[in-house]
Amino acid sequence: MSRYGWCWRPCALALLLVCLPYSAAFAHCFVGARFFPATLAIDDPCVADELSLPTVDWFKNGAIPSASEWDISAEISKRITEDLGISIGDIWSQMTPPGGPKMAGFGDLETTLQYQLLKNDEHETAMLLGLIADWGGTGAINSGIGTPYSLLTPTYYFGKGFGDLPDDAGWLRAFAVTGQVGYQFPTTSYEVAQNLYIPQNLVYGFSLQYSMPYLKSEIQDYQLPDFINHLIPIVEAQFSTPVANNYGNSSATIGTINPGAIWVGSYFQVGLEAMLPVNRASGTGVGFLGQLHLYLDDMFPNTIGQPLLGGTGAAPRKLSF
Amino acid sequence: MRTLLTMTTALLLSLAAMASAPTGAQAHAFLDHASPLVGSTVPTAPHELSLSFTQSLEPSFSTVEVIGPNGARVDQGKPQISGNTMRVGLKASGPGAYHVHWHALSVDTHTTQGTFTFHVGQ
Repeated sequence: MSRYGWCWRPCALALLLVCLPYSAAFAHCFVGARFFPATLAIDDPCVADELSLPTVDWFKNGAIPSASEWDISAEISKRITEDLGISIGDIWSQMTPPGGPKMAGFGDLETTLQYQLLKNDEHETAMLLGLIADWGGTGAINSGIGTPYSLLTPTYYFGKGFGDLPDDAGWLRAFAVTGQVGYQFPTTSYEVAQNLYIPQNLVYGFSLQYSMPYLKSEIQDYQLPDFINHLIPIVEAQFSTPVANNYGNSSATIGTINPGAIWVGSYFQVGLEAMLPVNRASGTGVGFLGQLHLYLDDMFPNTIGQPLLGGTGAAPRKLSF
Repeated sequence: MRTLLTMTTALLLSLAAMASAPTGAQAHAFLDHASPLVGSTVPTAPHELSLSFTQSLEPSFSTVEVIGPNGARVDQGKPQISGNTMRVGLKASGPGAYHVHWHALSVDTHTTQGTFTFHVGQ
């Protein structure tokens, strides 16, 4: 094999992906009249073609004493078929303990395989199953940011809009909730080098969101400024609770509650949230979380905004009532 | 591990290749505004409903239906679509709640739909 032999396989696979037939375009997370934005701390309940680049957060972590931590991450999600998608992401972290040396490096590469279980337009309900894999040995183990073992997290995601409430509910119909719950287990139960048991965790979170675009187009147009009509105020929460194999470790639940807002455009969204730790083990003070998120299906509707497989190129079906 | 890196590299390469391909960027057609306004109350029954979207529509696959206070359709059938605007005539009807159901297909085949109500009279 030549010195360039390492690259022929990814190049060939990339060529195959580019040449695959394209199907009729569809959506990111639209369910009936409801649009679920990409949430920052947890995942939305749809497979999609999207790119989060970058997601940036800063907070004082739960170490004693607290270290100042920056995280910068990126994730690309791609539909393989209309209902099956994959995501690949990674994170770069820098931790600065008071008076101590900085530690920095990449976290473990994370991939997620997701399958769309349900989209019910009438009830604005979406359900999704996923398997998150954090690949051990791909991050900066010496900095304590990556791990030598992998983590697998089967996860259930859901979203529910309240647009199916009676008309009398008025502005309450613009509310929606999303959430996810997963069981995270490591590929090894004991880390010999650190004499440490690796716990299994329940990983869960939810969001409560209020859609100003939904209020304007479905309930009442108050003719508010355009910027306001694109906002989705949101509160997200994310938690992790050790539930097994946790000998000698803290049993505390860690997590944050994140109030903020997402501005939704036609091709991208921008989100900004505060991060409030729920206890000392989760951190101290108020951090922040921001994200630029691109809708690839809208930006490139005829190319990467299409699922990779299963396209027929047929004309869209005529809609009728 | 090697396979994973291969797949990651392939995905990034294909993304770069496809992103550089020429494409007319379009997006989902959101309802920008309606006349009568969404959720509004107007003194007399309008003769026409007008919907303006954030993207141009595909006329053959975009539809609207209006249900009047007596539960019957009051729209006059196929809407007129020009660019990002959909118009449909309304039959004379009395005061009460009018329910509008629309489906839109933007010119790049993204579909959206929505429902709203406006009121006529007190």
